[in-house]
Amino acid sequence: MAKLTVNGRAYFVDDAPDTPLLWVLRESLQLTGTKFGCGGGYCGCCTVHINGEAMRSCRIRLADVEDAIVTTIEGLDVSTNHPVQKAWIKMQVPQCGYCHSGQIMQAASLIKENPNPSDEDIEIGMRGNLCRCMTYVRIKDAVKYAASISRGEVSND
Amino acid sequence: MIRNGKSRRYFLGVTAGAGATILSSTALGAGKQIIDLLNPQSPIVLPPNFYPSIWFTMESNGRTTVHIFKAEMGQHVGTAFAQIVAEQLCLNWIDVEIDYPEIDHNTFLKYGGQITGGSYSIHEMFDRLSRESAVARRILLEAGAELIDASFEDCIAKDGLIVDTIMDQRITYSEILSETTIDYEISDEDLRNAPLIQKANYKIIGKPVTAVDISEKVNGAGRFGIDAFVPNMKYAKVIVPPTRHGAKIKTIEDTKAKSIAGYIATLPLNFPDAAKVGGFVTDIPLVIAENYPAALRASRLVEVDWELSDHVNFSTQDLLSSSRALIEKQADYAEYFKTGDIALATKASTSSVEREYVTNMVTHAPLEPASALAHFADDKLHIYAGHQAAPLLPELISLYTGIDKEKIVFYPHLIGGGFGARVEIEPVIFASIAALTTKEPIKIIFTREDDMGLGHPRSPSVQRLTAYMNDDKAITGLRHDLACGWIVFGAAGLVYPIKDGKADQSSKDQVQLFSVSGSDHWYDVPNTSVRAFRNLDIEKVVSNRAVRSVANNYTVFAIECFMDELAEELDTDPVDLRLSLLKGKGVNSGGNEADLFPKGIKPFWNTSPYQTSSSINGGKRLANVLRTATGLANYNGGPVKKNVAQGVAVAGAEERTNPSFCACVATVEVVPESYVFYVQKLDVVIDLGLVINPDGADAQIEGSVLWGLSNSLFEQLNLKQGSFVETNFDTYKWQNIVGIPEINLTIVENGDYPTGAGEPATSVVGPAICNAIYNASGARIRTLPITQGIFAQALGKVQKH
Repeated sequence: MAKLTVNGRAYFVDDAPDTPLLWVLRESLQLTGTKFGCGGGYCGCCTVHINGEAMRSCRIRLADVEDAIVTTIEGLDVSTNHPVQKAWIKMQVPQCGYCHSGQIMQAASLIKENPNPSDEDIEIGMRGNLCRCMTYVRIKDAVKYAASISRGEVSND
Repeated sequence: MIRNGKSRRYFLGVTAGAGATILSSTALGAGKQIIDLLNPQSPIVLPPNFYPSIWFTMESNGRTTVHIFKAEMGQHVGTAFAQIVAEQLCLNWIDVEIDYPEIDHNTFLKYGGQITGGSYSIHEMFDRLSRESAVARRILLEAGAELIDASFEDCIAKDGLIVDTIMDQRITYSEILSETTIDYEISDEDLRNAPLIQKANYKIIGKPVTAVDISEKVNGAGRFGIDAFVPNMKYAKVIVPPTRHGAKIKTIEDTKAKSIAGYIATLPLNFPDAAKVGGFVTDIPLVIAENYPAALRASRLVEVDWELSDHVNFSTQDLLSSSRALIEKQADYAEYFKTGDIALATKASTSSVEREYVTNMVTHAPLEPASALAHFADDKLHIYAGHQAAPLLPELISLYTGIDKEKIVFYPHLIGGGFGARVEIEPVIFASIAALTTKEPIKIIFTREDDMGLGHPRSPSVQRLTAYMNDDKAITGLRHDLACGWIVFGAAGLVYPIKDGKADQSSKDQVQLFSVSGSDHWYDVPNTSVRAFRNLDIEKVVSNRAVRSVANNYTVFAIECFMDELAEELDTDPVDLRLSLLKGKGVNSGGNEADLFPKGIKPFWNTSPYQTSSSINGGKRLANVLRTATGLANYNGGPVKKNVAQGVAVAGAEERTNPSFCACVATVEVVPESYVFYVQKLDVVIDLGLVINPDGADAQIEGSVLWGLSNSLFEQLNLKQGSFVETNFDTYKWQNIVGIPEINLTIVENGDYPTGAGEPATSVVGPAICNAIYNASGARIRTLPITQGIFAQALGKVQKH
């Protein structure tokens, strides 16, 4: 039995200690918002926050996050009101939508560390999050818009 | 009360004999009676819905649900369909919803194939949905007029209301449907006479609306196929064979796997040879476990002894060599597209230019790996997945499993990227067989390596183009020899050769249109010949299939690069040369699909018989988008910068049945010292005829342009000894957020029948970049993708020179 704190709740799971966090979230906890894309940390679909930092859940063992705080897309904002989510809706970013849980978690982490990211900052911060529908232009715009919401320059309605 | 006779007279006067009736009653009278649990003596009456068309349902509260049978894979097709229905029904956008009904063997009979591919969804459904909705509005208008005791002619429909314009009385759709029961089935005759709202009066079509499916895609709530769940399901993982096809399982040794907690068994799935024709399935071991991580762990410990075949003898170079050999031999081909007499043009010519172009394999690699959940319960096989041709699945699953198609139900899920990959049936078939064998619900999930190892890439191609010129430097003949694997799609896409604008129905040859489309370009050349050489080795070894924009990606590449080479030979500007040939003469005047493809190109279509053509004035419209794009890009108009230049390309993709005329001007900077180039800007203009959802179209085109860029610069799937080399994103590289050029996108609407936005612009990006590279550096690229090696080699030739 391993104890896990996800989105503010405690869970007990009986997965093996070396099970990737991704599969614990998706299969044992049925938190399917976190997506499986490549299993090698190349695509960013499985990005979650661990102790507040964006990380690839496919590369992290259950045993290593027993004392950590995990946040998934489901827990980013219960009312879908996070500035990044609002920006994603405003800019109509998702096409198929599959990569966007990871994109949004990465972007949320990015604007927290850098409240006013330049184009280059966004490219560096988001380069590990692939989008096969190629929504990159809108992702850039939406990250900037989300940052401006966070800075209070645009209202979050 | 609404009386039948009166209503019928009002209603177009054509319903008699169509078997259609308008029934009327007091409020809710015809609703279904059900038992009241607390008072069984007094039944509850369920309000009936208004269901005039199989494509949408109106509830008595006025809310309309549009039923979407196309797959949702990022194109927001449901939003566009809902816009069409809302427009002609005169609904408030807020009152419209969509759903994705479950699919069974009746779906195909009722709704057709509803195949989501070829950028055909809007093209296929626009006229039908428009007409069905317009007729439904007319019925509501009639019923509303009756209820407010107004004259039918004085009433209009508007924003979910029927308004008597004389007395200014009004009644909402909700009130109409609450107070009466309308039972009316729309007839073909009604559709012919549908009172369509015209483009000038559109309020919802062509206006930006919020896509109805976005919010669930930003909070993790959307259910993709990989998220499907039923209680107590077991998990399955495939073991990818040592060659893509052709390997048979001899023995499976799973003693070591038994040490893994949760491991259940490994099933050998062996198919008879006949079932493997077309490469839709291959023999595969399926590792079953209590949970997916256990299946992953166990699969590494299962030892499979394989019987290999001659497939091990094939690598990428062999496929290209055999294509080249087919062209050299000039023996076995189908002449797909022919005008005039190429032999005469050859004889009469005084000069000629011949070039060869090569494209490598590209794979779909959607970010959601393939998956399927199959569960046999209540005497039915329930399938939970995403699929681009779901209405065909009951028949196909029946074929591979032996279970009655009547017993199969499919529950559509969101698709995490389709691009053609989700027409494949492997995951669904494997999961179905496993569920029927184990009598457990089985969810199969491909790893990235499984998904790419069992991929169906775009065929590699070798193309040889030859132009013949006379003394006046006019192009009198154009020969295009195209060797590639053909896509096996059953009857879909098999067409007759086309001779001077007419299908040659006496020909014994059939051509796979989806493997050659684009070679039937819109340039007016008096004598042309497209010869399609079918490379069966490729089909056998890789089972190539449709990847976004399909054949256009290689045919347009070759033709558009060749046009620039010809312009140089003829000492003219590449844009001027193109415009001189895009006069829309003969077959290129368009509007002639019935002559070109008399039996259609896709069976199971739902197009309305009253639909008009998308290709009218084709050649001229292609000239227009080229003029517009070069104008917007300030082609040859800016200050001359060293090592920076522009290049153009045009296409009428996808097919001549639904061409979206597009042009691209690429601006490229070459840095010769370091053997690199940068794509600075892509000016893209596309004529869609009519745009339903402008924001959605914009997103689709932008995505397709970047897909074209990614295909052209990075993507190359290799085959080595019968197996794909690149099976994850460490080796299969594609475009990320870094280095995105400026994209300047313009949509032209000329009011003609709408075409698709999701694919066509893909094909013009590569050749425009190659042409720009040449103009900037003199390096001629004739291979895709333009790898650093290819580029350095081409540049090296220039520098040596």
